Amino acid sequence: MALTSYMVMKLDLSSLENWISTGFLALGLFACSPAGAAGQEYHVDRDADNDVRFTSRAPIEEVVGVTDRIDGYVLLDGPRLEEGSAIERTQLYLEVDLASLDTGLGLRNRHMRDNYLEVEEFPYAFYDAAIERIEPVGGDSFRVTARGVLTIHGVERERDLSCDVSERGEGYRAECTFTLLLSDFDIEIPNLMFLKLANEVLLELDFVVRPAPDL
Amino acid sequence: MLRRGLLLTALFLAPLGAQGQDRPVRWQRTADATEVPITVFHSPQSANLPTAETMLQGEWQFEISHRFLPPFSAGSDALWGLDGPVYNRLGMAFAFHDRGMLTLQRTNLADNLDLNVKVRVFEGEQGSTPVMVALVGGAAWNGDAPILLDGSTRAWQYYGQLTANVMLGERFALGVVPSFLWNPRLDAAEAQNTLSVGILGQFYLSQHVSVLGEWNISEERIGQEYDTGTFGIELETGGHFFKIVTSNSVRLNPTQFLAGTPFSFNTDEWRLGFNVTRLLQF
Repeated sequence: MALTSYMVMKLDLSSLENWISTGFLALGLFACSPAGAAGQEYHVDRDADNDVRFTSRAPIEEVVGVTDRIDGYVLLDGPRLEEGSAIERTQLYLEVDLASLDTGLGLRNRHMRDNYLEVEEFPYAFYDAAIERIEPVGGDSFRVTARGVLTIHGVERERDLSCDVSERGEGYRAECTFTLLLSDFDIEIPNLMFLKLANEVLLELDFVVRPAPDL
Repeated sequence: MLRRGLLLTALFLAPLGAQGQDRPVRWQRTADATEVPITVFHSPQSANLPTAETMLQGEWQFEISHRFLPPFSAGSDALWGLDGPVYNRLGMAFAFHDRGMLTLQRTNLADNLDLNVKVRVFEGEQGSTPVMVALVGGAAWNGDAPILLDGSTRAWQYYGQLTANVMLGERFALGVVPSFLWNPRLDAAEAQNTLSVGILGQFYLSQHVSVLGEWNISEERIGQEYDTGTFGIELETGGHFFKIVTSNSVRLNPTQFLAGTPFSFNTDEWRLGFNVTRLLQF
């Protein structure tokens, strides 16, 4: 705001034209400043007990991979989630560090990293979306539906994501579940004996967001 | 001046309209992606020699291995050796750390019970070449140690190994394994010390199939006249390594294998064998 004041003071305030100019200029700067933004930005709380897991249920064995390395942000159109929250200018961005996925066996982790997800080339899975719907489901909980693009293994696919969101402190906890097909993302499906991975994979995200720190 | 005001306003308000679509400036990635661990050999062991690879902390590995005693040259009457008999090894390894593992293994040859510890002491890249180094130390007790002339037995054997591995290019892993062994011959009047040097290589044909070879240069002594050569194929899955090998040695445990073999590397002396390992979680 100091810059705004300085620029305003530099203008000649004696003429009506300049008053109009100054007014519009100040309005513009205010509207673009963080304090003037109506929406609230939330960041994934990396210190929280976040949990991202995939589950592959093949005929012989269930393989589960887990990581807590999720990051990203949510941009709401207002300060908080509430019934009737505007969704016009919302944004949801999540990314998962794929090399950190742990299936419990080092050898299987290496196969997953090197052979299937190819994390050297594609280290993150991304979800970039806008919130489509916010439905109160009782208490301080909401059902939030987002629509956007999921990118895994360098392949982009449009995907809806539904999350159960509840208040947690100043932020929210989100629990999201959806399935995907590995073949949709050009991920090779192991077909050797004892390599047990199904094409359909269940993804579960459980993470906490908190208000973005002020600059 | 009015035009200038409108222009300035438009310039400042323009980003506001796109605010919902553009990534906010305040969020930024705060940590690098997880570093992918270096890999040289995929398995903690080649056919007989140790690699510098270890397991994840808390993992267990069960092993069953066979060496068929009749050679291929025994022909169809012995089903090219598969009729047996065999030397067998059962083993269980535990990773007490991502860098360290403890292995207990027993073979029916001399009832040799072996306990060893492997510690990976270095991994890194020299230029773009992945390098990994580990140390192995172990002791074996032989339940069937022969009775010596003075009526005593010398059932214990001890050994130490260094295994240095490099990955050459994308697919070829190469290792060298100098080893020290105390008491290589249980039936000798005096305990001896011996040194050997093993060379191992593995070419990864695909993500799951590879061919491997080993050569262990050892001192010549009675009953252990020849160096040991082994080659074979390895299939790896999410939790298994299957190795099918051909060798001029039928000795499985380190204190037996390192000292040499009574069979030459002539094709008439080649014998079949296999190693199967399975990673376990409890």
